[in-house]
Amino acid sequence: MLLIWTSILFPILAAFAVAIGPTKSAKWTAFAGTLVSLGALTLFAWNFPAWHNAEHFPNTTGPSWIPQAGITFSVGFDTVSLLLALLSAFLMPLCIAGSFSSITERTKEYYGWFLVLGSSIILAFAARDAILFYIGYEFTLVPMTLIIAIYGGTERRVAAIKMFLYTFLGSMFMLATLLYIGWEHRLAVGAWDFDIDTLTKTTIRLPSSTQYWIFAALMVGFAVKVPLFPLHTWLPLAHDQAPTAGSVILASAMLKLGTYGNYRFALPMAPAGGAELMSVVAVLAIIAIIYASLICWVQTDAKKLVAYSSVAHLGLCMLGLFALNPVGAEGAVFYMVNHGLSTGALFLCIGMFYERYHTKDTDVVGGLAKRMPIWASFMVLFTMASIGLPGLNGFIGEVLCLGGTFISEHDGQSGYPGVLGPWYAIVAGLGLIFAAMYLLILLGKLVWGPLREPHDDAAHASSAVRLSPDINFREIAILTPLAIACIWLGLQPKPMLDAIAPCAERMLANYPKEVERLMAQSAGTPLASLNNTTNESSSE
Amino acid sequence: MTQLTSIPQAIIAPELSWVGLALLLPLLAAVACALCCALRVKGKAAAIITILALAASFGIIVKAYFAYTGPVQVPIFQWIDFEWGAGQFQSFNANCALYIDTLTLFWMLFVTGLGTLIAIYASEYMEGYCGSGYSRFFFGICIFLFSMSALVMGDNLIMLYLGWEGVGLASYLLIGFDYARPAAVAAGKKAFIMNRIGDLGLALGIFMLWANYGTLQYSELFAAMNKGGQTSVDWDLSVIPFLLMLGAFGKSAQIPLFTWLPDAMEGPTPVSALIHAATMVTAGVYLIARMYPFFELHPEALATVAWVGGLTALLAATIGMAQYDIKRVFAYSTISQLGYMFLGLGVGTSFGACYHTLTHAFFKALLFLTAGAIMHGFAGQLDLRKLSGLRHIPGWRIVSWTMLVGCLWLSAFPYTAAFFSKDAILLQALTSVRADFRFLGWLGLFTAALTAYYTFRVWFRVCAGPLHFEPGAEAHSESHDHHAPSTHAAHTTAPAAKSDHSFHPHAPRWAINGVLLILALGAVVVGVPAYNQAFAHKDNWAQQMIAGSSAMQGAGLAEDHGSQASVEHPKVLGMDAHTGLTIVGCTASIGGILIAWYFHLGSRKSADQLRAALLRRWWIRWVPICMENKWYVDEIYHFCFRLPMWLGSQILYFADRHFLDGVMVDGLAKIPIAVGKLFRPLYGGALQGYASTMAGGIALVVAWLSWIWLRGFN
Amino acid sequence: MNQELSSGFTIASSAPIAVALAISALLFVIGLVGFLCRRNMIIMFLCTELMFQGAALAMIAFARLRMDVSGQVFVIFILTVAAAEAALALGLVVLLYRKRETLSADAWSDLGES
Repeated sequence: MLLIWTSILFPILAAFAVAIGPTKSAKWTAFAGTLVSLGALTLFAWNFPAWHNAEHFPNTTGPSWIPQAGITFSVGFDTVSLLLALLSAFLMPLCIAGSFSSITERTKEYYGWFLVLGSSIILAFAARDAILFYIGYEFTLVPMTLIIAIYGGTERRVAAIKMFLYTFLGSMFMLATLLYIGWEHRLAVGAWDFDIDTLTKTTIRLPSSTQYWIFAALMVGFAVKVPLFPLHTWLPLAHDQAPTAGSVILASAMLKLGTYGNYRFALPMAPAGGAELMSVVAVLAIIAIIYASLICWVQTDAKKLVAYSSVAHLGLCMLGLFALNPVGAEGAVFYMVNHGLSTGALFLCIGMFYERYHTKDTDVVGGLAKRMPIWASFMVLFTMASIGLPGLNGFIGEVLCLGGTFISEHDGQSGYPGVLGPWYAIVAGLGLIFAAMYLLILLGKLVWGPLREPHDDAAHASSAVRLSPDINFREIAILTPLAIACIWLGLQPKPMLDAIAPCAERMLANYPKEVERLMAQSAGTPLASLNNTTNESSSE
Repeated sequence: MTQLTSIPQAIIAPELSWVGLALLLPLLAAVACALCCALRVKGKAAAIITILALAASFGIIVKAYFAYTGPVQVPIFQWIDFEWGAGQFQSFNANCALYIDTLTLFWMLFVTGLGTLIAIYASEYMEGYCGSGYSRFFFGICIFLFSMSALVMGDNLIMLYLGWEGVGLASYLLIGFDYARPAAVAAGKKAFIMNRIGDLGLALGIFMLWANYGTLQYSELFAAMNKGGQTSVDWDLSVIPFLLMLGAFGKSAQIPLFTWLPDAMEGPTPVSALIHAATMVTAGVYLIARMYPFFELHPEALATVAWVGGLTALLAATIGMAQYDIKRVFAYSTISQLGYMFLGLGVGTSFGACYHTLTHAFFKALLFLTAGAIMHGFAGQLDLRKLSGLRHIPGWRIVSWTMLVGCLWLSAFPYTAAFFSKDAILLQALTSVRADFRFLGWLGLFTAALTAYYTFRVWFRVCAGPLHFEPGAEAHSESHDHHAPSTHAAHTTAPAAKSDHSFHPHAPRWAINGVLLILALGAVVVGVPAYNQAFAHKDNWAQQMIAGSSAMQGAGLAEDHGSQASVEHPKVLGMDAHTGLTIVGCTASIGGILIAWYFHLGSRKSADQLRAALLRRWWIRWVPICMENKWYVDEIYHFCFRLPMWLGSQILYFADRHFLDGVMVDGLAKIPIAVGKLFRPLYGGALQGYASTMAGGIALVVAWLSWIWLRGFN
Repeated sequence: MNQELSSGFTIASSAPIAVALAISALLFVIGLVGFLCRRNMIIMFLCTELMFQGAALAMIAFARLRMDVSGQVFVIFILTVAAAEAALALGLVVLLYRKRETLSADAWSDLGES
């Protein structure tokens, strides 16, 4: 409990220290602040009692905040949110260290806002009160907007405003739905309460039509953040314009808030709606995979390419989640973490060569293996992780997501019926080919081939910090933990899979029933006789 | 379908976990090579580490072979392993475990053995790169050996997939080893992507197996097959073999996914020998042999394999006849020989296919290594029109004669090992009860003649004839200068060439020559099982090895056909099948060689005359043109798949920016602005304007309230 | 005290409330029209004061009608605030005059985009 609050609040304290402290020490203060946050969270994870059981938010409560409205300061983790929070906390110091040389102006504000960003992301993952979650979820936008709008590229203002308005609009749907659910709870019980578990218990008792709308509205909110086709257009622009560290956090932590929201709110709260809309979401996810992959293919801007690839990858993640069986759900959660690691690392790598050449255009710069061999090795490793090479982390999530989709048609053999099935998996599988295609083309242009450097070295010389041709020790130290994590998770996924499994099953607890009900409905079986006939009809 | 013998059940043997070292050692060596790379080691440390690790790995496999008693399953550690219920279909298990049966050992023996030899060869061949990529090269080799071992020894299909993709990665990294050359990079990319297309088929096949049988472990899958292979799940099982087949076709460069292999020759030659000739490309054969029982799930699955194999063999042979680059000729011959293996698998002799894999591994590795030695010595020259009579140079005798051995074997010269292995395949095809298989058999015989022709076209051109050579483009390039000091001794002792300028080819030294000799010896030795069978009527070792594994169902099938043959005496050209085939096979092989002798040694001019004569006649000119241009397959793929997709992507990107983002999103954002503009005149800036707006607003509110009041508040 | 107050208002109470409201409306409309039609900032300010007084008068009238002193308390409060505001506003007017050398409100239309 104390540790959680330390990890949330310490970055804010550090942000104050950055604000009042001298400019020179700002970056080190910020670095220390994120390290303490990571340390506290790691310590909490070390002693976490519920790694292997489904207990929701064990051992954690919090003081009341607005008692009239039932809003509390209660925080706590289950394994999924803990993993995602650990991922964010793990990336924070790396991002700050990655900004040491790239951010040279207005450093105090930068590090201050970055720390606030970190703490609001952890707050969102840690919250067990829906309103507290909303606050963390929404507040990430403020520092991120400022980071993009002040430190970004040439179109930074447009990008920042679009990101803010777009995702804000989405979260309005979410907030309205959460308030509606709270109100329903008040109707049922007589008092406001926004505890997520309590709300979940309330909503699953609501009629299916209500659940349908609750699910749809929550889905709209989270789909913007994921981002799911066709609500993705803010993302490439924001990524393209954001400074490196901003892109990393945006891709690795903030997008995960969307998928996490599905895991935590939309799916468990409205199983009837989820069951009814699963094929719709799955189709959108598949479109996202194919569509974004094809767009990646024609990108010449390295960062935009990786941004669109995020859309494709998270499409696969959503597909796994909406396969509505433990394989897919587990794969999806695993994929969230993996995508955070490998895509974050790719953004860092791209940022490193961008700092040296001041261009991300793969037509202008390329063949860097000759100039930057160490960087090239990391780049190849992370690209392979992103492609989903077995033995690296991306593969595990991919194979489980696709496997989950594949057996989603099973008539109760897996215990979790679904409506997706092999065709969905086949079409989504094409994404694997496309992923190899566009990422290898990126590698082929950027890393391999004859050395191409921009001719006007003026930009290079005018940079405030003179950088070595290949990445320096600091940059190696940033990438190495990510590389180790990628390899380790690829070779030893079992502990993490074991940790996710109970949570995935708990999330899906109501689905077999709901999906069977829907299938029976569409088959025309009267609802009353369902319980007797389900087993017989499935075995026929 | 005939009654099939059941596959022996594997027992779990954790005490055999030392076999896992064969996997671990290459991985450790890879780490060590990576360290060498990072520390910029200038010497040959990486090569020594690699050779030691691979030799140890080979030793372990040999030990495992002698310790072998029956199929075993060796658990090592849990990889992906979880379940959500007790039911058969409620788990997903893919652990790091080994499945060792005779097929595994058969494959591992030549994979690790050849891996070691080629690493030794490469330690000399690659010395020009010392300090700049030498360690990286051996890193790739180690990764390859690790992945290949995982592919072959894995106990489940996910392990196989791990190896499958891992060898793809190693192949990608090694083809693009010389990354400054765009052609090499493009070739690596092409190889990876084309393989990925096949991999999708494999992955879907794996999912299909899992969804149907609830497991991915070989032992459990085979147990299910022993019970008849049917499951309670009402899925279409018959697509499984076709999906697996797609994966095999991708990895083993068969129609329609074969175009990557010739391009892969951009890689260093030891890589071509090891990965793209001897081992990796046979993974498809391994997959089908391993999953052989599942190819019975659809009656036409094996026939498809046979047709694809037979047609690929012919197509690749025709292209190989018209190529001038030695390595490319050998690459097409690899595709063609792989076609034979698939033909063998398809017509039901998994023994023939696997045995041909073994013999092919040796002679093809040998051929590539000789080509590599020539390339190394002649500064990258591989054009067979520009090399001639190399056997006259003293330092090149070993190369020339070992190349002759390789060529004889490749052309299935009578009573070489490859003759027997090809014989086994063609016999099975020609004595089949199916007419289309018999046709494929004749097609295979015709292809054998073509093979003999193009093989000896290379040898007669390059090694025989008058001495003449032109060095390649790398003569004065940087990479040549790199290895000049280290090979200086060889350089100066080489005799003055009778060339028009002062180029001195440097002859290979002990590592290359030694490996060539060992491989030539190996190519002879792998014939021993066949000699035993043919002359001493002893058991064929290779047949036993295959029969003890999951590929035995095919072997059973073959025996079945064999017994049928003994009853009905199927005839080939009116003779006993064995005798007839021997005669026809000898004729094809020797005939091909003689034609090659006439055109490429006897009177080399007539070859050009023939080509010119063909090109003059409109009704036949398409044949040489198409053959020289590889039947335009690359171009067809480009225009049918790549180009439309690329255009589609551009359109999608345009639509994404301008329609989805521009019209939909920004359009939506314009609505509030437009509404705001409507009311803009009310806020013109003059104080009175604001005041009257306010007054008017109040008046409206008052009016509304009064209206409600007057109406009477319902 | 209470009696005094009530007796003091008995005369006024003889007039119907409509008269008081009419006067207050009249004051307000005069102020409003003046504010909208004049450009001189001091006159405009005086007009706002007129509207103010109109509102205050209406409040007093209603307070009287309902015999509730809180309305009158409000009025006293408003008057004090209005006095303070008058001081502030006149100061502002002087300041604005110094800037543009004119008292016309048209000189200040910078908020408009056109």
